[in-house]
Amino acid sequence: MLLSRLGAFWIMLEWEEEAVCVIMCASVKYNIRGPALIPRMKTKHRIYYITLFSIVLLGLIATGMFQFWPHSIESSSDWNVEKRSVRDVPVVRLPADSPIPERGDLSCRMHTCFDVYRCGFNPKNKIKVYIYSLKKYVDDFGVPVSNTISREYNELLMAISDSDYYTDDINRACLFVPSIDVLNQNTLRIKETAQALAQLSRWDRGTNHLLFNMLPGGPPDYNTALDVPRDRALLAGGGFSTWTYRQGYDVSIPVYSPLSAEVDLPEKGPGPRRYFLLSSQMAVHPEYREDLEAIQAKHGESVLVLDKCTNLSEGVLSVRKRCREHQVYDYPQVLQEATFCVVLRGARLGQAVLSDVLRAGCVPVVIADSYILPFSEVLDWKRASVVVPEEKMSDVYSILQSIPQRQIEEMQRQARWFWEAYFQSIKAIALATLQIINDRIYPYAALSYEEWNDPPTVKWGSVSNPLFLPLIPPQSQGFTAIVLTYDRVESLFRVITEVSKVPSLSKLLVVWNNQNKNPPEDSLWPKIRVPLKVVRTAENKLSNRFFPYDEIETEAVLAIDDDIIMLTSDELQFGYEVWREFPDRLVGYPGRLHLWDHEMSKWKYESEWTNEVSMVLTGAAFYHKYFNYLYTYKMPGDIKNWVDAHMNCEDIAMNFLVANVTGKAVIKVTPRKKFKCPECTAIDGLSLDQTHMVERSECINKFASVFGTMPLKVVEHRADPVLYKDDFPEKLKSFPNIGSL
Amino acid sequence: MQSWRRKALWLALLASWLLVLLRVFPLLRLAVPARPWAGAPQGWPRWLDAELLQSFSQAGELPEDDPQPPQVPRGGGHCDWGACFNVSKCRGGGLKVFVSPVAGPISDTQRGILASIESSSYHSVSPDEACLLLLLGPEAPAGECSPVPQQWNGGKNQLVLSLHPALCPQTFPPGQAMVAKASPAVDTFRPGFDVALPLLPEAHPLRGGAPGQLRQHSPHPGVPLLALAEERGGWRVAGADSPACPWDGRCEQNRGPEQTPLGATLPNATFCVIPGHRPEALHFLQALQIIQDRIFGASAHPSLLWNSPPGALLALPTFSTSPSDFPFYHLQRGSRPVGRFSALIWVGAPGQPPLKLIQAVAGSQHCAQILVLWSSEKPLPPRWPKTTVPLTVLAGQRKVSDRFFPHRAISTDAILSLDAHSSLTTSEVDFAFAVWQSFPERMVGFLTWSHFWDEAQGGWGYTAERTNEFSMVLTSAAFYHRYYHTLFTHSLPKFLRTLADEAPTCVDVLMNFLVAAVTKLPPIKVPYGKQHPEARPPLAPGASEQQPPAQDCINQMAEEFGYMPLVSSRLRLDPVLFKDPVSCTPQEVSQPGETLGESGPGPRPAPRGHCICGGGGGRRPPSLAHLEIQSRLPISQQIFASSTGLPDPHPRPGSSALSQSGVSHCSCCFARCFTNIR
Repeated sequence: MLLSRLGAFWIMLEWEEEAVCVIMCASVKYNIRGPALIPRMKTKHRIYYITLFSIVLLGLIATGMFQFWPHSIESSSDWNVEKRSVRDVPVVRLPADSPIPERGDLSCRMHTCFDVYRCGFNPKNKIKVYIYSLKKYVDDFGVPVSNTISREYNELLMAISDSDYYTDDINRACLFVPSIDVLNQNTLRIKETAQALAQLSRWDRGTNHLLFNMLPGGPPDYNTALDVPRDRALLAGGGFSTWTYRQGYDVSIPVYSPLSAEVDLPEKGPGPRRYFLLSSQMAVHPEYREDLEAIQAKHGESVLVLDKCTNLSEGVLSVRKRCREHQVYDYPQVLQEATFCVVLRGARLGQAVLSDVLRAGCVPVVIADSYILPFSEVLDWKRASVVVPEEKMSDVYSILQSIPQRQIEEMQRQARWFWEAYFQSIKAIALATLQIINDRIYPYAALSYEEWNDPPTVKWGSVSNPLFLPLIPPQSQGFTAIVLTYDRVESLFRVITEVSKVPSLSKLLVVWNNQNKNPPEDSLWPKIRVPLKVVRTAENKLSNRFFPYDEIETEAVLAIDDDIIMLTSDELQFGYEVWREFPDRLVGYPGRLHLWDHEMSKWKYESEWTNEVSMVLTGAAFYHKYFNYLYTYKMPGDIKNWVDAHMNCEDIAMNFLVANVTGKAVIKVTPRKKFKCPECTAIDGLSLDQTHMVERSECINKFASVFGTMPLKVVEHRADPVLYKDDFPEKLKSFPNIGSL
Repeated sequence: MQSWRRKALWLALLASWLLVLLRVFPLLRLAVPARPWAGAPQGWPRWLDAELLQSFSQAGELPEDDPQPPQVPRGGGHCDWGACFNVSKCRGGGLKVFVSPVAGPISDTQRGILASIESSSYHSVSPDEACLLLLLGPEAPAGECSPVPQQWNGGKNQLVLSLHPALCPQTFPPGQAMVAKASPAVDTFRPGFDVALPLLPEAHPLRGGAPGQLRQHSPHPGVPLLALAEERGGWRVAGADSPACPWDGRCEQNRGPEQTPLGATLPNATFCVIPGHRPEALHFLQALQIIQDRIFGASAHPSLLWNSPPGALLALPTFSTSPSDFPFYHLQRGSRPVGRFSALIWVGAPGQPPLKLIQAVAGSQHCAQILVLWSSEKPLPPRWPKTTVPLTVLAGQRKVSDRFFPHRAISTDAILSLDAHSSLTTSEVDFAFAVWQSFPERMVGFLTWSHFWDEAQGGWGYTAERTNEFSMVLTSAAFYHRYYHTLFTHSLPKFLRTLADEAPTCVDVLMNFLVAAVTKLPPIKVPYGKQHPEARPPLAPGASEQQPPAQDCINQMAEEFGYMPLVSSRLRLDPVLFKDPVSCTPQEVSQPGETLGESGPGPRPAPRGHCICGGGGGRRPPSLAHLEIQSRLPISQQIFASSTGLPDPHPRPGSSALSQSGVSHCSCCFARCFTNIR
């Protein structure tokens, strides 16, 4: 026990002098807690014990040094240390003549400079990222090459290490992130930093290495990319220009604004604001400031051009104040007062003000020619910003005025969302960068345009209709009728006979949902002109009706119950032809409605004769076979199982599903109001039963909560044949027998 | 006791030395839990003094750095808009294109491009006025590649179009010129500056191949899963049941998937693998559109417009850049247009102010304004009826195409286009508007025509006769989106608009052609009370031998469009309870779904009364329902029903009791009913 505890200490030993004391004191402590040996000992024994322990300790220290010193450069085990100081990291001395990487190859692309094979096939489609351990680099004279690590870079590495991308196994890694902090070029010595990079254990000309830099270049010419020679390494840089950015290889990242964490700025919704155009930057080139002043002079109150404050009292943070003549404004709060905010190039192209502006929901007006906007590989900046060429700066006001208000509000929302998703924290920036690289390596699993760009509200509220092309399927294909049956053979046979009269029927599929009874023999089935197939199911479930059977070869499916014998052939044929004009909708006969019950504060199912419709019954309904797939495999939450357990509401679930994915309303055809068979006059099955209605209402409430929204759309129309009820000879009408109510 | 302790200690000492000597320490390390403290982080350490770390940017450096003069772009990288394109040249007249004269013979493809530019709004005749100079890339056989053209100017504002780069490698460096090239290589392509075009195969109709036809709209299950494009248009296909192939091409030898004959047809496969060197298929105007987008920057196309039907070429950025302003994107985003409609009444030659019509339309709660387009030679009447909505009279130019001009006065998305002699009821207008809101990209009309192929004449014909289907709605009474005015005026060839002006009935056909060509969908018909005797009869082709040439406009248009865009429909959208033998009573239930598309997660209160029809209780058979309900009609309803006393124009056999009872075939009652739809 003692040994094992000591072992634990060994692992965390830092081989510097203080550590010895730590061990000594700790071991003494442990002994005290043990059988209390030392205090009661006699003097002559004490000498024994002290020598003994010294020997043990020396032995341990020696072993530790012997065993671990050579491994410690690569071993990830030293991360096991819980608490350490940044000042205590190992020091690495860089000889003055150690190798320097090549400058960097402008023609690098993923397929030329990146070793994709390192990432391999990965079932999760996630790259593995390794972080080198932190070292302190000094030159021959012991002068540090740079600050060991900045707060932001520490956060960044922490974010990567906490993410799914992280691996501590250098051999499994596909991307390597050095812990050498190059976020700000001004804080490092270029040549020595390059040497430090070159001596990394897996450097290999920088292949698959990723550097993060937000402030590139330095006076006087301020290059737009990091000046540190880096050979093939990828650069995630803030402030790239088209001249330095290697499209599809480098990643353009934002310049993090420290105000993001320091200032609490409650969200302000879109809409008109006090100032139309605001410039808040302090260091603006005099030429540009003249232009801005001219715009302000021309347009007066709606434009505000702010500058540095000159006479602030002591103790006031100058970064948090802006001035216009003698008026003092709080920054970044003042950004929330403006609709458009100028983001002008400074010495560098990337400006931290962009982040503040987005956060304030102010639409950035980016005036920085050749600037590669952050994450522009995936983000659609047209939706959140206005880019104006420097040459056109004097026209900025009129350019902005030509944007309609509706679009401005969308841009404001989008700007705020970009900040929340990709600018808000160092972590967001780091993960977005890795996601972009991940998307390149596994393009087939990459996030879509919508996933990158649509705010969550849009994502939830929007639809991505899979059948979006305006096509009218050819009539020749016909439809497949799917009859769900249990054991009502006589009624089933009548349905089959009736449906087989419909000209466009191309196949009939009977889903036999009774496991205890065999379907009738082949000879007993009605003889019809189209193929008839019987599918037996493993379990009596309502969802079997919506299963994507291989036997369905047509795009159109007619789901029909085994007791729907009242529909006429004209009615069904007309239904099919209506479906062809609306192939992405549910086309059915009796319509139903959902209503909001104000007293109960919940949804209510309505089967009365209303002049509005939001659902159709699937006792007989046409729809695209794709929805069978969606119902079976993509139904949200537990709805599918819930329906099977309750043996009810499968039609409401289908209505919800289709409306949710397409955003479109159902089409009710013909005047039919209910599926009432002529024989069963007394009770209309279950559908008039009060408890049944309550149950159906419950279904709507349940589904609305699972979907998180009410996707159903209400319409006031139904489809009838062109000449329905027109004063026109019946025999000349295409669908004379369109059925009754 | 003490000796025991001593022994134990000595033992411990020995044991530890043994361990050291035997180097069992690593094993012991394994025995110790790898993470001695539960939950301790592995990976990047949590520094004790993380709080004390300095920010990467020193105070004063951020948020802004020192002011510096604007940088001059340095060579070595690639061109972009700011550096290599003079936008100021495009400021005046927008994107104007001048085509540099081509040396030597020009190919059919080039001729086609020249023609398409000349007929488009981009064309310019002067190189000085143009903002973009187009240089057609060489089409000649290798070796005869064109030299650097005149007016080259380092390539500034030049666009080099190269459709078949294989024929002639680049003979001069593009410099500052943009290159629109078919299947460019990633090494020379300058993203955001050059334009990538699809490459046309030799069998493509534009290169002299025969036109083909696709028979199937969607792949069938069971057909091959994967097809691999091979040299010279062949395809190698592999079925869905093929074993997984390693990606080194070995499966080809193992299995030998069937190979289609060279140049046969497109493979009927779900996925097609196209090796990098030669992808196939041309849209030159698309390239110009891309360039125009870049010039306009802020007012350019969002990606939604590029990627969803009908495509960016048909969504003019000069109209708007917000998708919600166009008719096409509402349905696919699950929204519907908000707002009201503008009634646009065209008054032609007779010059009678349509007073009754104005009253009926103004009675609609959805009417925002009434615009009268006065195209008659008669003087304007001195007084107009008093209406609750603003009424504006616009002076027309006595051209029929003028009625589809995007007048500035039209302030709403929806237009109700009317003729002076149209006759509608308020209910009909209300219902049609509700339908249009559900289908904002289509035309919603009351009167319809249908087109047909006339075997005898060997051409297209159309008729106003009532048939079981229709493909056009008359614009003398139709709802549509105002964007179609913009398209009509700015995107149709001038020839077609002149044709419509010369033969006024053609204007309806042309508008229907335009909408159908854009949407690929039929228009929508809503019920209409009576067939008006005044309704303009179409000059039915084949009706008489001496047709005026204008009657043939449908064939001229089909020829100009290159195909017949009209699509037939066999349905009419009626109110849900249209002509059902029911009456109704209002119930105090409000309907939150009124504002469709915007139904958020929470229900919103809507004050509108909602009606339940079929006898309130609804337990009676419908055939009896109306008898009892009559007495329970709200008073307003009874007055309305009896005062109008609408006769049923189409009595249904067996329901005479109802139609004689004085209760009209009300679709429902109360606020939202279409009682007067007969």
